[in-house]
Amino acid sequence: MTDHDGRAGTGAADPDTAERDLRQRKVRDAMAAQGLDALLAFAPPWRRENVRYFTDAPVTGTATFALVPADGPVSAYSTRPADLHAIAAHGWVTDCAAIDAHAPAALTGRLGDLRPARLGVAHYELLPRLLADQLRAVLPGTEIVSATRLMDGARLVKSDWEIDRMRRVDAAVAAGWQAFVDVVEPGLPEYAIVAAVEAAIKGLGAEDNFMLIASGGDEVRGMTAPSPRVLERGDMVRTELTPQLNGYWLQICRSVTVGAASDAQRRSFDLFNEAVEAGMAAVRPGVTAHDVARAQNDVFRARGYGEYCTSQYTRVRGHGHGLHLDETPIIEGNETELPENAVFIIHPNTYTPIAGYHVLGDPVRVTPAGAEVLISTERKLFEGATR
Amino acid sequence: MKRGLVVLDPAEIPEREWRERVTALQRRLADGGIDVALIYGDVSRSDDIAYLTNLCIYWNEGILAVPAQGEPVFLTKLSPRVFGWMRLVSTLSEIRSGRNFGELAAKELGAGTGGTVALLDSGLWPAAVADEIRDALAGWNVTEADALAREARLVPSGPELALLRQGAGLLGRTVAGAAADGLSPSDRVAAVERGLRDAGFLDVLATAHDGPDGVTSLRVTGQYRYLWVHASRLAGGGQAAWPAALRRASDAAVAAARAGTTAARLTEAARPALDALPADAVADVRWVHQADMATGGEYAAYPADLPLPPGSAVVITVEAAFPDGRHAAVAETVLVGADGAERITGAGVEVPR
Repeated sequence: MTDHDGRAGTGAADPDTAERDLRQRKVRDAMAAQGLDALLAFAPPWRRENVRYFTDAPVTGTATFALVPADGPVSAYSTRPADLHAIAAHGWVTDCAAIDAHAPAALTGRLGDLRPARLGVAHYELLPRLLADQLRAVLPGTEIVSATRLMDGARLVKSDWEIDRMRRVDAAVAAGWQAFVDVVEPGLPEYAIVAAVEAAIKGLGAEDNFMLIASGGDEVRGMTAPSPRVLERGDMVRTELTPQLNGYWLQICRSVTVGAASDAQRRSFDLFNEAVEAGMAAVRPGVTAHDVARAQNDVFRARGYGEYCTSQYTRVRGHGHGLHLDETPIIEGNETELPENAVFIIHPNTYTPIAGYHVLGDPVRVTPAGAEVLISTERKLFEGATR
Repeated sequence: MKRGLVVLDPAEIPEREWRERVTALQRRLADGGIDVALIYGDVSRSDDIAYLTNLCIYWNEGILAVPAQGEPVFLTKLSPRVFGWMRLVSTLSEIRSGRNFGELAAKELGAGTGGTVALLDSGLWPAAVADEIRDALAGWNVTEADALAREARLVPSGPELALLRQGAGLLGRTVAGAAADGLSPSDRVAAVERGLRDAGFLDVLATAHDGPDGVTSLRVTGQYRYLWVHASRLAGGGQAAWPAALRRASDAAVAAARAGTTAARLTEAARPALDALPADAVADVRWVHQADMATGGEYAAYPADLPLPPGSAVVITVEAAFPDGRHAAVAETVLVGADGAERITGAGVEVPR
């Protein structure tokens, strides 16, 4: 992961106490409803969204925590001392301490003082036994339960403050995709595309990126990490590219051909674009993830490609976004309601025999008027150079 | 997130060495009365699994089951659609997919008849996953075992040394360029990303933080194949004297490093230079195995009297914490020999091909 202090011009400068207070209020209401006396958000390196939710700070420690008592100030802890300055500098949490994973005295001491009867741990499912044992030892009479779903629910509906942050990620999304299109040419290895994208988005202050890629013809069945494969004229190069800026992830799914697109590649794009538009047309407050997935899949079914919407060929028809990049799955059978100001990407990415795996999708916000697309990049089949 | 080159190249690590790694672990299992070892990994920390198979867990979690005899099997919640790629970039032939690890382990191991299943490096397993495995493996004796795979990784093999030298040389050169005058923190990180990913790094963890006196602390950890290299540099700073003092302290610590030396001794060696830091700055001198750099060494125990093992590759860091909470560091990756340490992240180090 990458983060840095390039805040100027990227909007993460001043702490917004109203947003901080709103979050703490939302979570404390949910804690009260579930009978929790305290909530401990745990962040391993690949799931830092809940600690970010309370601190608004980029952290790099291997194990970080935010402790939310039923009332009183939130405190934060990290195995990396340099994180303490980052947390305090953002101003949302000023009570922070360094911990040793083998003896996290500052954290266990605070928990021992609190002695909650019932403690919720967000990402309890990922908490290493080394740390879990020390929590249990200091809280012998405490019922410890998972608070992962509680936090997922708290983060589902974005505030205006968050939507504003997410809109700003579009600059990195657009620059990243443009760099992708600009660099594509015959003879280039896949991993060099990633290098160009990373340089573009990090120069704009992106903290991290999630990205999968695939290149080739109609034999391509899915995307992976990049390989040494070199691009050939006529290839279609697919990616989902997901910069993280000021904590928020925003994804774009696009495909670009190396040289002029073939008729099959154009037909494939038309099918996928129709599915994206059908998914968008289904969006309104209160619609379910199932509804949005079914609208997309119905397009494939109507065109005789329904079998390619199954798990044999694809994963999801999209997923939620925010402080984590892959939240509520947009799949048939998921009856999770998508309320106003939920944010998710609609991407019917899958394999078909038309032109192989195709990748296309935009992130949207749920508004009373329907789906609002949060990125500015044109939704089309891009054609790259053949230099 | 891991998004750099993943490749299995027999010219780098021969097939025989991959087989020997698994065989060596299997011998230890047999000696310890263990029938099957389970090794957990996730997207942020999967080097034990990569050491045995070259598999990169680029998303989610996975468990490698290594029987005392027979082929290792990878258990994953990812779709079978990625099995082809996994086989292409790893030595694995056996991969199983399912909804949860308990079901996967039970299906793979079958009903137990009193045999022993060991969770290696069990303290780092998510407690919930370990409990799920225990509950699912009826008839098996599920135990906890030492970090046998990590232990095997602490002293690099010949082919690993070649990769470490190559990766460290690339990283040292790239970081030197990114630490040049006149760049913004974002530009420094962008330059590192461009240089290292273009050179085939799998992962790049780069930060550029402003420190006191206009100094930027640039820290770069890179994963080359499954091995880790690191360098930290100070950029800018004009007239401030402390950056030079921190660099001298780093040089002194590296010069004092050799097999058997401890962090306490490195601190002693660095002390004269550290005394030139501002009086209110707090200095720390430490070393971490490259094998632990996925976590910055934060999950391993590094007491001050732990000796540097001969033949190991470690990162030696000299870090200053200032009263306002900001930190700055100089760090090098070195190879530890009996008579001294070889700095392999220097800007002028020739990059072997």
